[in-house]
Amino acid sequence: MAQGGSNKKVTNRLVAASCAAVLAVYTAGYARTQSAANRLAAQVAERRAAVPAPERVTLQGPERRASAPIPARFLPPAAPMPDRVRIPTDLPRKYVEKTEAATTDVPGSVAEPASIEPPEPLIAVAQPAPPINPVPAPSIAPPVLPAAPAKPVWKDGTYTGWGYSRHGNIEAAVVIEGGRILSANISQCRTRYSCDVIDKLIPQVAQRQSPDVDYVSGATQSADAFYGAVVEALSKAK
Amino acid sequence: MTDQGASQRATGRVRTEAVMGTLVTIHVVRADENGVDPAIERAFGWFREIESRCTRFDPRSELMQLTAQAGVPVPASAILYEALQFALMVAEESGGAFDPTVGHRMEARGFNREHRTGEIVRSTISPDDDVSYRDVRLDPDRRTITLLRPLTLDLGAVAKGLAVDAAARELEPYRDFAIDAGGDLYLGGSNPQGAPWSVGIRHPRLDNELIDSLQVSNQAVCTSGDYERRTHILDPRTNTTSDTVASATVVASGAMLADTLATAAFVLGPEEGIELLTRMGVEGLITTPDLKRYETRGFCRAT
Repeated sequence: MAQGGSNKKVTNRLVAASCAAVLAVYTAGYARTQSAANRLAAQVAERRAAVPAPERVTLQGPERRASAPIPARFLPPAAPMPDRVRIPTDLPRKYVEKTEAATTDVPGSVAEPASIEPPEPLIAVAQPAPPINPVPAPSIAPPVLPAAPAKPVWKDGTYTGWGYSRHGNIEAAVVIEGGRILSANISQCRTRYSCDVIDKLIPQVAQRQSPDVDYVSGATQSADAFYGAVVEALSKAK
Repeated sequence: MTDQGASQRATGRVRTEAVMGTLVTIHVVRADENGVDPAIERAFGWFREIESRCTRFDPRSELMQLTAQAGVPVPASAILYEALQFALMVAEESGGAFDPTVGHRMEARGFNREHRTGEIVRSTISPDDDVSYRDVRLDPDRRTITLLRPLTLDLGAVAKGLAVDAAARELEPYRDFAIDAGGDLYLGGSNPQGAPWSVGIRHPRLDNELIDSLQVSNQAVCTSGDYERRTHILDPRTNTTSDTVASATVVASGAMLADTLATAAFVLGPEEGIELLTRMGVEGLITTPDLKRYETRGFCRAT
């Protein structure tokens, strides 16, 4: 159900190329703009710190107060199953290569190589497989975790939100029905890499009734951006 | 194009600077946040940096240095390389309706005056009449640019769009902001009233009227018109100015994309222009000199 809107992802060649170009330029000149980047990093750090907490996740940043309880019952299986994912991309090979190559110097700006994050691997990522039995969330929730914090009640409707990362931004669309998350989707993918790398995270939002999706090794930025996008969307549903 | 309505500007931090031959205004809605002023400064920094590399009006710019060395691979900065690479992609997609190698023809038509000093800038080369984007080669591994024949590059539209997009990225943590760079707009988030930004599209013939008004958020809106700098858009394929379009407006995810495709659509004419925009997955409106409207299917939906 959560995959329904994935065809809306922006896959056009020029759209992708323009995003890639802007990011390559921005990353190259990144040393100059450190403090904006630090802000993004702070959001991510907040998230990492907040994950174990059962109650509220508060993101630092402009107007980013969104929060959602994270029910422990739907945490991912302890032993992640490696899963090879091929990452398709619309960019011709040479454009991809160039994006990779272009992340270093901007003459005129003293770029510190150390401050530039290495690009995410493009070949494959290992990520935990989604829970093997998708949990029918509502029916079994109360017995499993009677002490759960008060369930969030969201207003019905479709809400969108943006999540940010240094590699680009993701817009998520979350559908609330009967006060619950019916589905979540990536409505716009403006990251440097294809959003396909985090496809598996999409159903987790509805399964867990929470923005707390898995981390994806090799695509942490995209996963964090998706998380932030869902948090923002849910904040509008309050 | 105008950013409509004084109310949209009522609150926040607004700064205007003359750069890239136009006035650039940046408006961040919530001015009380930490670091707004430095962020705006960095955003303007992108305009200055990208202009200094990509301008045709300074013989010392990286672009003009490249122009002076046909036939050999020249190492390029990330900015120049990315801007040119994107320009070549648009040239390819539009069948040459957009072409970054029209620089010398622009000079020949008198578009050679530096906007601040008024100084006439002319490159010393005289390219063949049939040079095109196919005469430029990129090497992604070494990040070099080779001009196969002597030619003058014009990256005006690309550079301005790229600067708007880089500035937008700089301001993203502040979410609600507007960047207006003389016809290239990027609107982030919401206006001070919490609603999508309202953008008027100027009537191509009546100065104080709008032909349409759009509601946009996190999108760029760019218009190519025949009114602001009269007939500054050349059809690179025929070396003539286009006369079938009065204005072409494109709404897209970024300004570099929107500006270049608006230029291409302007050159292609209404039918072919709309066809290109549709194929590229962006929305647009083309108005002819007799004020007939042609729109992409999703134009209203996008707005």
